Amino acid sequence: MNEGSVTVLLGFTQAIALTMSVAFLVYVYVIIVPYLRHKPAPPGDASGFDWHFLVPCRDEEAVIGDTVRYLRTTFPQAHVWVIDDDSEDRTAEVVGSLRRGHSAARNYLHLVQRRRPTARTGKGDALNAAYQELKAWVGRHAELHRQIVVVVDADGRPAPNCLAVCSGAALFGDERIGAVQIDVRMSNRGVAQSGRTGWRRWLGTMLVRMQDLEFRTAIAAIQKSRGYTGTISMGGNGQFARLSALDSIAGDAAQPWRGSLLEDFELGVHLLTEGWRTGFTMDTHVDQEGLYSLRRFLVQRTRWGQGTMQCARYVRRIWDSQHLSTLGAAEMLYYLAQPWLQLVGTIVYPIPIILLLAKAVADPAWVWHWFTGGAWILFAIYGSFWLLPFLAWGPIYQVKCLRSWNILRGLGMGFAYALYIYTFYITSWRALFRLVRGRNGWSKTFARSIVRSAAERRFSMGAIP
Amino acid sequence: MSVTDVAVPRPLSHRLLIGLLIAVAVGLVLGHLAYQTAEVSLAGALLHLFSSSGVYVAAGQQTVYFGLGSARPLGLTMTPECTSAFLLVPLIVVGALLIGLRPRIAGRVVLSLGVAAVVLIVVNQVRILTMAALVGWLGTDRGYYWGHTMVGSVVSVFGGAIALVLFVWLATRQGRTG
Repeated sequence: MNEGSVTVLLGFTQAIALTMSVAFLVYVYVIIVPYLRHKPAPPGDASGFDWHFLVPCRDEEAVIGDTVRYLRTTFPQAHVWVIDDDSEDRTAEVVGSLRRGHSAARNYLHLVQRRRPTARTGKGDALNAAYQELKAWVGRHAELHRQIVVVVDADGRPAPNCLAVCSGAALFGDERIGAVQIDVRMSNRGVAQSGRTGWRRWLGTMLVRMQDLEFRTAIAAIQKSRGYTGTISMGGNGQFARLSALDSIAGDAAQPWRGSLLEDFELGVHLLTEGWRTGFTMDTHVDQEGLYSLRRFLVQRTRWGQGTMQCARYVRRIWDSQHLSTLGAAEMLYYLAQPWLQLVGTIVYPIPIILLLAKAVADPAWVWHWFTGGAWILFAIYGSFWLLPFLAWGPIYQVKCLRSWNILRGLGMGFAYALYIYTFYITSWRALFRLVRGRNGWSKTFARSIVRSAAERRFSMGAIP
Repeated sequence: MSVTDVAVPRPLSHRLLIGLLIAVAVGLVLGHLAYQTAEVSLAGALLHLFSSSGVYVAAGQQTVYFGLGSARPLGLTMTPECTSAFLLVPLIVVGALLIGLRPRIAGRVVLSLGVAAVVLIVVNQVRILTMAALVGWLGTDRGYYWGHTMVGSVVSVFGGAIALVLFVWLATRQGRTG
């Protein structure tokens, strides 16, 4: 490659890198402002709705008892539908014994039993099975717009105020709202993994902390800003949906959840393009267990990345929809483009650095003169581009979520979060390789019962209200 | 609530427009030297307006000399790293994509591309003028040192941000009908 070509390549990659960096800086600024201005909304009357918790389970005997007991105690007016996806452990037995324990439990606790070969085919299929049983149970004449379905993980702990908050005037109090996503927190934040010592223990604790930070700041801010674009998306845990909304997208197969690896996002796309609105609230939350293992975390994020790539098939549907504004469609396109932009980034960002290193080897004196002659300022500026959009969330998390003014610790967490985010450059490539090879099957990150130590395992076979 | 979405056909005129935009993007990459020459000529004309000392444009070398006849003459060469040509390329590609996805916003996308392009071109000229002003104020070495790196980068970033915001806002404004 001659010098002219190198200069053009350098100029072109710098321009792409600058555009992507500036776009991301503007995006982060745009999402931070509404997040920081958030004010809690008044709750509504939960008794105006019937609530149905759907709890998909695959080999969850270690946690399902406590979860059912929590849900029944905290929300006595709500129905709990445990979906046993042909578990190989005693999940179904635990639920069965809880049902036998008390007469009221029989009316409010339901077991949806799935069997292979139709079982263990994905969370979406499990939820569809529960949806079909729920539909049959409520009957044809029920007021479907008053029936609210809540998807909760087997170790999920929705906050006690979640039903009242979701009944608020801006959420299910508004009949146009088809689904609501609530904030997600990590229940094991600040809790070290037992059985681990030294740096592995520290790394695991930090990884969980980063997941908590990510969900409670960056993801919450993205969702909050989507309120303006009308594109709030659904998550896998703490997902509330009106039964009438699910009905409208279920089709002849009675399957509102579809088959991609990102079935929660897919649900949101179908609802939005059907004309429903979606809501998000930070006024309540669901606690879930964060992953301690970096390997499992990378597997989870690879699955999310691959799922996002799969959802590229909805781009045309989104843009053709009469219900989505251009800004909303552009926001969803930007979201769906993220793993692809990360792939572009791993190619574009290093090129100027590689060319500079090559120049430094060939002519170190010139490079030194150039660097000390002012280029170091460029490094500082572009380095801050890479860091600032992530660094900012550390102090925000510290102040807004942990209610602490230890800004130094917040900055430390911001640096850690920047490193955490850069793992996505790895997972996007892994996702692409899986996509190219046609490897679309995943055993989802049902890591809880595997990673949980024996000391943490608890059974709950007692009666429930 | 159940309005069925119908795939919108892409008319020939929009496909031609998309082809034209892609051709412009490719043209900017392949013909960047001609674009740089035009940019440096514009910079020369602007420096003539704002400077009392001599200005000379060496179009063949994409270089503008200013401060001629003063104690601080300097020549600035418009390189591929400094030109606004490559900053326009991603915007044009995104614009073509938007028109392909939602043909009814074609007019607004073209308008937004025009506005963003003008902003980027103006920002690059402001960068050159700032550099010239700093050289006149701080001297050749210090003026170029700060003008080419710190101030130049800040101008580029803020200018790029303004261009992007305008592009997105103008292309996507208006209600649900597009």
